[in-house]
Amino acid sequence: MTMMIPYGQRVTPDRQATSRSLMRPRPVGRAARIILSGMLALWFALPLVPLLLWSVANRWSFPAPLPTEWGFDGLGTALAQGGVEAFGRSLLLSLAVAAIATPLGAMAARALAVGSVPAPRLVSGILLAPLALPAFVAVMGLTVVLLRLRVPAIVGVLLLLVAAALPYTVYTMRVTYAAHDLAFEEEARTLGASRLQVLWRVHLPLVAPGLARAAFLSFLVGWSDYVITVLVGGGTIVTLPFLVGSFAAGVGNDAIVAVLSLSAIVPPLLLLLALGRFGRRYAGGTRTPSASPLARSEKGFL
Amino acid sequence: MSATLRLDALTKSFDGRANAVDAVSLTVEPGECLAILGPSGSGKSSVLRAIAGLDSPTSGRILVDGTDVAGVAPERRGMAMVFQRPLLFPHLSVLDNVAFAATVAGTPRGEAREDARQFLALVQLEGFGSRPVTALSGGQEQRVALARALAARPRVLLLDEPFSALDPELRADMHELLGQLRERLKPTVVMVTHDRDEAAIVADRVALLRTGRLLQHDTVERLYTRPASLDVARLMGGRIEVAGVVREGVHRSPLGSIEAPAGESWPEGESVLVVRHEAVHLASPPVPAPQGMTGVTAVVTARHARGPRAAIELAVGSATLAAEVPASRPLTIGQEVAAHIPRSACTVVTPVPG
Repeated sequence: MTMMIPYGQRVTPDRQATSRSLMRPRPVGRAARIILSGMLALWFALPLVPLLLWSVANRWSFPAPLPTEWGFDGLGTALAQGGVEAFGRSLLLSLAVAAIATPLGAMAARALAVGSVPAPRLVSGILLAPLALPAFVAVMGLTVVLLRLRVPAIVGVLLLLVAAALPYTVYTMRVTYAAHDLAFEEEARTLGASRLQVLWRVHLPLVAPGLARAAFLSFLVGWSDYVITVLVGGGTIVTLPFLVGSFAAGVGNDAIVAVLSLSAIVPPLLLLLALGRFGRRYAGGTRTPSASPLARSEKGFL
Repeated sequence: MSATLRLDALTKSFDGRANAVDAVSLTVEPGECLAILGPSGSGKSSVLRAIAGLDSPTSGRILVDGTDVAGVAPERRGMAMVFQRPLLFPHLSVLDNVAFAATVAGTPRGEAREDARQFLALVQLEGFGSRPVTALSGGQEQRVALARALAARPRVLLLDEPFSALDPELRADMHELLGQLRERLKPTVVMVTHDRDEAAIVADRVALLRTGRLLQHDTVERLYTRPASLDVARLMGGRIEVAGVVREGVHRSPLGSIEAPAGESWPEGESVLVVRHEAVHLASPPVPAPQGMTGVTAVVTARHARGPRAAIELAVGSATLAAEVPASRPLTIGQEVAAHIPRSACTVVTPVPG
């Protein structure tokens, strides 16, 4: 027999007292948080320091802590070697990847969310498969097929990059649709909105934050790709990573590589900032300023 | 803007399972408010979704002003739906939510908003237009949802348990508001609810549904006092069932002989007498029953607190009775009282076989 707890005897510890101290930020915890975030910031920023220095260095011999000769030779060479064109090409390619992979991912995710897909587990497995497979494994085999089918290199690259970006867009949109209430669309229909009007006036505005996230991720897939462009493009499609790669392979190009690499940071950074602003405007712009921090973080972006 | 709605043997089944809605036929007159009442799983929401065009019926017809709306897209049916959740579009202001129907119909923005303002005033939310929908309370949200639906000028307004999520006081406010709106706009309304009090307050007529079948379509009053079956009596919260036999129009049971109300006749044979417990008067000390009432001597067997009222259970020989009295009445278990049953409140139904 187990011991009976006498009736009416309090067996739980006094919550009031313990929870109050937990709610209040403790000085030790706060200091640790600041140190930790400082270290993280350093971790992310540190690699950029030599890059920044190299981009404005004409010469930097090994033992010297700072460049031995300052100048813009790196920038000059980068421009002369088609840096701007490569930048533009990368931008176009990545935007195209985002423009194709985002709606595709959204449609797949919606079909999966609504439950109109047979064997949904298998289908989501296939859609997520490119994550598990190293890109070059798939590409090696496909290059031959694409060549035989006489698919233009740029189309081949685009196709494969879209496939590589799909897991990210599908996953992001699945999360979005899981929180999306289809009843909003039914309500709009009964109020007289056609399917197309529902799409533009209700459905897309409601999933817009998710779409923006998905587009950003698929842009990044295109923007940072090297393997697929090289293998399928066969050197005919000179993107920014391709240019960086070819210069990095040589000797004495540190300044050019630094300039090109730094320029590669700019578009994702700008997009991230834009996304953050869009998210705030979308989630908080029309709301009262008194919205709780919890509500804001729930609706925040990334 | 109101229309006649007729359901003709409306049937809906999902994936070959038993019919969720089974051959429901009824008519709603223009300007009338029908409550579809039933326990959860009775198929009442399926009926509403079929009317709205959000689901297509398996068989049967839905006629609006005599025209079959089969195959007509939801947006072309001229219905508007208010769900239990307000479903206000979060990316639009309160005013633009109410103006939604006009906007999608192609009305210029300014005109649509002017129109929406009038409907906001109608639900007593003047000046709330520029607010974001997240700045509203639950009751206000449902008011806006109602205004948005009314602004669509529906031929039939569909309400799917619209006030179930509100607390009792707000719900009472909304019932009053719906009453005012009905008076001013005279829309045809079909409202789904599981709350028989709500149905009684809001609706002119009630369609009682259970497991997809229409048990009775009648006025609220008749649903309470003249249930068509024992199921109806029970679903309407009736607590008195006295088995007996009808001979020559008189029901004989442990309660004695009870005559059918004036102008009504009861079928001969075995039948169950049902009467609302609210209609039963208890007299203590016992006094003779007044004209038009049947008096029996009963013993209090149980007493349950119901806030300001008390539910009393009584035994009359082998039969049981129930009554409701003010909580202040000092009736105690074992006490002998006279139960007076108004003849006009009685009706008989066929017993459940077996």
